[in-house]
Amino acid sequence: MRNGPRVILHVALAAVRENVRNRFFTLFAVFAFAAVYASVLAGVMAVDQEGRVLTDFGLTLIEFTVLAYALFNASSVLLREAETKTIYLVFSRPVPRWAYLAGKLAGSLATSAVMLALMGALHLLLLRLRGFPPPAYYAWALCGSLLKLSVITSLALFISLFSTSAVSTLVISGIVWTAGHFSAETGFLAAHSSGAKAAVLKGVLLLIPNFQLFNVRDLASALPAAAFAAAALWTAGACLAASWLLSGKEF
Amino acid sequence: MSAPAVSFSGVGKTYKRPGLLSSRYTVGVAGLSFELRRGEVTGLLGLNGAGKTTIMKLITGLLFPTEGKVRVFGHPPSEGAAKAKVGYLPELPYFPPQVRPAEALAYYGSLSGLSGSALAAAVESAVRRTGLEPHAAKKISEFSKGMLQRLGLAQALLHAPDLLVLDEPVSGLDPLAIHDIRGLLSGLNSEGRAIFLSSHSISEVEKLCSRVLIMVRGSLARTVERAEWESSPRGLEGIFVEAVR
Repeated sequence: MRNGPRVILHVALAAVRENVRNRFFTLFAVFAFAAVYASVLAGVMAVDQEGRVLTDFGLTLIEFTVLAYALFNASSVLLREAETKTIYLVFSRPVPRWAYLAGKLAGSLATSAVMLALMGALHLLLLRLRGFPPPAYYAWALCGSLLKLSVITSLALFISLFSTSAVSTLVISGIVWTAGHFSAETGFLAAHSSGAKAAVLKGVLLLIPNFQLFNVRDLASALPAAAFAAAALWTAGACLAASWLLSGKEF
Repeated sequence: MSAPAVSFSGVGKTYKRPGLLSSRYTVGVAGLSFELRRGEVTGLLGLNGAGKTTIMKLITGLLFPTEGKVRVFGHPPSEGAAKAKVGYLPELPYFPPQVRPAEALAYYGSLSGLSGSALAAAVESAVRRTGLEPHAAKKISEFSKGMLQRLGLAQALLHAPDLLVLDEPVSGLDPLAIHDIRGLLSGLNSEGRAIFLSSHSISEVEKLCSRVLIMVRGSLARTVERAEWESSPRGLEGIFVEAVR
């Protein structure tokens, strides 16, 4: 337990270094910059709504790009380390497994934060070049994306511990991500259903995080404290479940 | 009286392979009882699938026994107190290819609780002892198999463990690398460290070890002391062949 914070720091730093060196990261960075530039073209085609389209399209592309990177990383990292036996060199040392997991999550989130900041800066620059002021909620929008990424990355790490492959982790995480953006609709359906159908829908509402909580565009204001609390609870819950699975896992 | 480096009491490990309708069970090792003495070099011989790697993983806490009790310096292997005293070299270790050896070693050293000048000194010492100094500026992607094996040994030595668990330490190495690693292991043993190594090379085990455990299909078939194979006209190889047939 005493080793925990030190291990988290070292594992997180190593994860960030590895992510930054990884060619996969470079490919995503190139793709992201191209995607943000494409949003400028889309904005031009929107005529009188250019500012709004440019902002929304750019933010969506930034979020999807970082999401794709975070999910690919989270779904394969533990599997890859087990296959290459790198994990043997870690878990044969006095390293608490929960701390290793927390370090991997922290490293992945730090990488995601760097990607969000870099692409956000480029996006703002493009907005400025097109003559639009930075939207008032812009930093909150990126913050909301990071909260979403925190939840989905921790869930993907948890799923990767019992799924059979990185692909199945990606698919399950993708379903959770999509369903989590339709929580209001699911709630509506649950309220207007009865019997087993209502029970299933209510179960889905309980099990799947409500990602709409983190959409600043829906709120048109700063993120409320409830969004931070929800993200912290979902992330902590997923991490605890993942730690429990990892503690009994053999290599 | 101090606890032995390792003790196995009636240890069994059964692997469960989940299937669609039912699970399949495979016995890795069964009914294992033995001790590894402090400061001794013990070899582990056996054919493929005899349970050698299973034993090493049970000692390092990577696997959990399904029956019996494993103790490492008196502690369960999953406890930090046990792991702090063990250095482990898995068969064919992997390191991130884009880093240099000192960086990889610094990472593993920090996970072993080293920091600051103690970490720097441990990395420098491990690099020197394993003969990696001339290759310190290279990236790991440029390393040969022998150099990777030296790096694997270096990471196991960082925290000055009392017990080294080495899975096939000379597998696939050229004669010069084998000679160097043998010299290194002899030096480590002369410092009082216990070494437990598995190998398919009977001649290497014969040169290094004072005692050998022979595994046959998951069970301990024989324990042979150096005096026994030295006095036998068939040598260790003859004893091994007789045990596994």
